[in-house]
Amino acid sequence: MPEALLSARGVSVRFGGLTAVNGVDLDVHPGELVGIIGPNGAGKTTFFHTLSGVLKPTEGRLMVAGDDLTGRAPYVYAAHGVARTFQTPRVFRDMPAGENVRFALEFAGRLRKHKHDAFDDVETILGFLGLTEMAAVPAGALTPARQRLLEIGVALGARPRVLLLDEVAAGLTHTEVDATAQLIRRVRDELGVAVIWIEHAVRVLMNYVERVAVLHQGAKIADGDPRAVAKAPEVIEAYLGEEGAPERIAA
Amino acid sequence: MRGVPLALALTAAGGLVLATLPWLLSDFLLALALSCLMFAALAVSWSMFCGPTNYLSLATSAFFGLGAYVTAWGLESMPYGLTVLVGGLVGAAFAALIGLAVLHLRGAYFAVITFGLTELTLHSVTYIEKTYSNTAGRIISEAPENTVIYWTVLAVTLLAVATAILVRASRLGFALSGIGGDEERAQTLGVNTRRVKVIAFSLSAFFPGALGAAMAVRWTYIEPLSVFNPFIGFQTVLIAMVGGAHTLLGPIVSSVFFSLLTEFLRLRFPYAFLIVLGLLLVVLVLYLPGGLASLFVRRGRQHA
Repeated sequence: MPEALLSARGVSVRFGGLTAVNGVDLDVHPGELVGIIGPNGAGKTTFFHTLSGVLKPTEGRLMVAGDDLTGRAPYVYAAHGVARTFQTPRVFRDMPAGENVRFALEFAGRLRKHKHDAFDDVETILGFLGLTEMAAVPAGALTPARQRLLEIGVALGARPRVLLLDEVAAGLTHTEVDATAQLIRRVRDELGVAVIWIEHAVRVLMNYVERVAVLHQGAKIADGDPRAVAKAPEVIEAYLGEEGAPERIAA
Repeated sequence: MRGVPLALALTAAGGLVLATLPWLLSDFLLALALSCLMFAALAVSWSMFCGPTNYLSLATSAFFGLGAYVTAWGLESMPYGLTVLVGGLVGAAFAALIGLAVLHLRGAYFAVITFGLTELTLHSVTYIEKTYSNTAGRIISEAPENTVIYWTVLAVTLLAVATAILVRASRLGFALSGIGGDEERAQTLGVNTRRVKVIAFSLSAFFPGALGAAMAVRWTYIEPLSVFNPFIGFQTVLIAMVGGAHTLLGPIVSSVFFSLLTEFLRLRFPYAFLIVLGLLLVVLVLYLPGGLASLFVRRGRQHA
């Protein structure tokens, strides 16, 4: 097995007495497409915050491409090729869409030693997302669905080795969700970028990822092939509290 | 930005025209022009950092006062031009120092702490003067001629405008607008926000420092309360916000407008002028929160 691109070792996050993430280990290798699922409040987003440096873990270590980045600022993670989106799109609302992408290229993108062959200009990235027409429109004026796409575009502008997607399909229609999932596959296939994808809409995610990790009450309870994970008793039990859970897990 | 060479050329041309004023204007009008220039430079340099980042700094008076004291302490041993340069550097160094300590604060907290630091600086200088020099103020004996002061302040103002133009077009300016939009997002996109903020805050403080040093010779008697006057800071913020701190031209136009208006009201209504000025500010802030520049931006959008 080659060296892990991104590696979390025993990561815990505690807010006062509440343990949001509890000793999670996760290794992601170059070019992998990994999903993270879990019921509401399982600690998925908090775990993501630690993977991108936004939140310092209370315990545990984070390695990116062999470098220990535990406790470093988010821009250091960006410089090592970790790019992310946020659950609620956090684009620069007053800047045109094209400028948003240029921002990522200008800072994180430039810090990256290894350029991508493609995707080093604003037009290519917006074209890939079908947002070419929107280049001059202020990001805040885009529809929520387009803002989500733009978030992916901004993350791509950072020339990532690993892309963290936080519920990019939330609130989208069925057709839009499938289009987004295909887009994510293309990012991985065409650019060779590893993707970690959190989603609440479990059904879609299970169809597209090759590996899925399940978080429950802050701890990782399963990690592996989606079909096997969906049948694991502890996963089914974790989801039982949620309405219609078994059908949603079944791929 | 494509307009940079044009904007710089216009600045230089404007500077040449303004440089002829000492031969054209009376002493009174030249003093008025000097006040316009000073506030233009203060408002432009304030907007350089605070405009794109949406920070509200009230530390302008601290940088200005330190610059003034550089002149008060150093004019006997240094030429006037050098005190202006050193004043600017002291302002920038002080801003870098306090920037490292307090730029992680935002909104009202940052405003209050920069105001508090200004007061702290004022009282520290007072204490140092009383303890070590046994004096409450200093007399500046050999002041340069008024025209020399005017040209010096003009040079600092032109430098401030040119710097603002270049910063807006640079990666530094781009990073600052990202910080203003969403600081954490800018960090996840590779910006070392702390370093960017300290550099820009320090750069913007060079100008009030240099202006304090340049203007100090206008007053024959210097004391901490007059040069660390918080009104210099307030007035700068008001001028910049009324003009539109996101724009370059807004603060310049607004500083001319304010200086002339203040002078007119002071002569016309010597007792009520502060009341009139205050009311005017309230009206402007209530009905034009984006500054006077927003009038033109709005009109521009309708065309589009």
